[in-house]
Amino acid sequence: MQEEVLTAYLVEEQGRFYRLAYSYLKDRDEALDAVQTAVCKALERQDTLRDPNAVRAWFYRMLVNTCMDILRLRAKTVPFPETEETVGYEDPFPDDTLARQIDALPEVMGTVIRLRFYEELSLKEISAITGENLSTVKSRLYAALKKLRISMEGALE
Amino acid sequence: MREFDQARWEYENTPLPPELAERVQAGIREGKLRGRKRRFQRRFAACAACFLLLMLAGLNLVPKLAYAAVDIPVLGGLFQIMTFIDFDVKDGSINYAVSVPRLEANGDLAKTVNAAIQERVDFLMEHAKQDWAEYQDAFFSTGGTEEEWGDREMDVFVGYEVKRQTDTQVSFVVTLSEGWIVSMEEIYYFNLDFAEGRNMTLQDVLGENWVQICNDAIQEQIDASADDDDSFFFPPDQGGFTTVDDTTTFYIREDGVPVVTFPRYAIAAGAAGVVEFPIT
Repeated sequence: MQEEVLTAYLVEEQGRFYRLAYSYLKDRDEALDAVQTAVCKALERQDTLRDPNAVRAWFYRMLVNTCMDILRLRAKTVPFPETEETVGYEDPFPDDTLARQIDALPEVMGTVIRLRFYEELSLKEISAITGENLSTVKSRLYAALKKLRISMEGALE
Repeated sequence: MREFDQARWEYENTPLPPELAERVQAGIREGKLRGRKRRFQRRFAACAACFLLLMLAGLNLVPKLAYAAVDIPVLGGLFQIMTFIDFDVKDGSINYAVSVPRLEANGDLAKTVNAAIQERVDFLMEHAKQDWAEYQDAFFSTGGTEEEWGDREMDVFVGYEVKRQTDTQVSFVVTLSEGWIVSMEEIYYFNLDFAEGRNMTLQDVLGENWVQICNDAIQEQIDASADDDDSFFFPPDQGGFTTVDDTTTFYIREDGVPVVTFPRYAIAAGAAGVVEFPIT
């Protein structure tokens, strides 16, 4: 893929990238960092993209991994005590809806749900992004749906 | 399904911060640069790696750098600046690209500067490995798999650039960095006058009125960029530029013009990187 084509794709889809990063991190600044880091990595490693048709899965893999890295770093850091002002400040939808339940899922399950339903990726693409085989992705999706106590037609197609 | 539509609606209506476009552009710029460097290095790495590994073993380089025990005579002039340690090597998943400068001159100035640089390099070498190990540890202890770890690598970089050199003076910049998912960078500016045996100041270069001269030139350049889409400068009351002082860093350009520098985040958004103002 030509550098200009890749750059155009990244600029075009930046809103989607930010939303996905934010859904993991729930922090504006960290989500911005994640997008910038993943974009930088994408251009740095553009030679590793072999199939230009798979650019979305290729890039999402870097973005999801970057978000996971930031979450891990956060787990390593002693949390800063929250003051009243900061509680709930970042989250524009603070209530107990399905969205909150999805956020509360273990990361690996949350990833499958977000990519499948928010980003409408195929299970095959999700398997390329997470580096797991298709049957693992399917069973993760089943488990997550069971946990959310919802059934969705066509979820496993 | 209705509940799900609500969740998805929320997701799609996550507000986008206004600086997103800037940050994406900054990522693109940095990625292009790194990509070029990476492809360039790869071409050389294969042939050089074996040889360098042998050298490294002999030098006992990591974590502590060995010091060359040779006195190199100073030929002509008052001083010499030379590359003292130079290697580009991969140790496990850490890529080292290190070239450390060293000044050869009589007197205390060179000694002081060499020691200061060496101290920072030693510190970086000791901590880079430790930071990387800690990160790996955290990665696997929080459920990361070998597969997810994939081809993660860390870059450790030390380099220098001589900006200007005359018979008696030298201006150079030393950069040290450690980069993985976060990147830490330290930049040191040295402006040395060996005839005087001391550091040069902005006053030496610009005269008595240096503060005013610098402030006017900097403010003019900030104002000029305000119309650009690319302007990252903070307003003065929000941590932006107010004045230069004794701690302000600078180097001297090849044509003798001093260039005042501000670290990342000091007076502008991080995406702007290090900000430089030539004082003409």
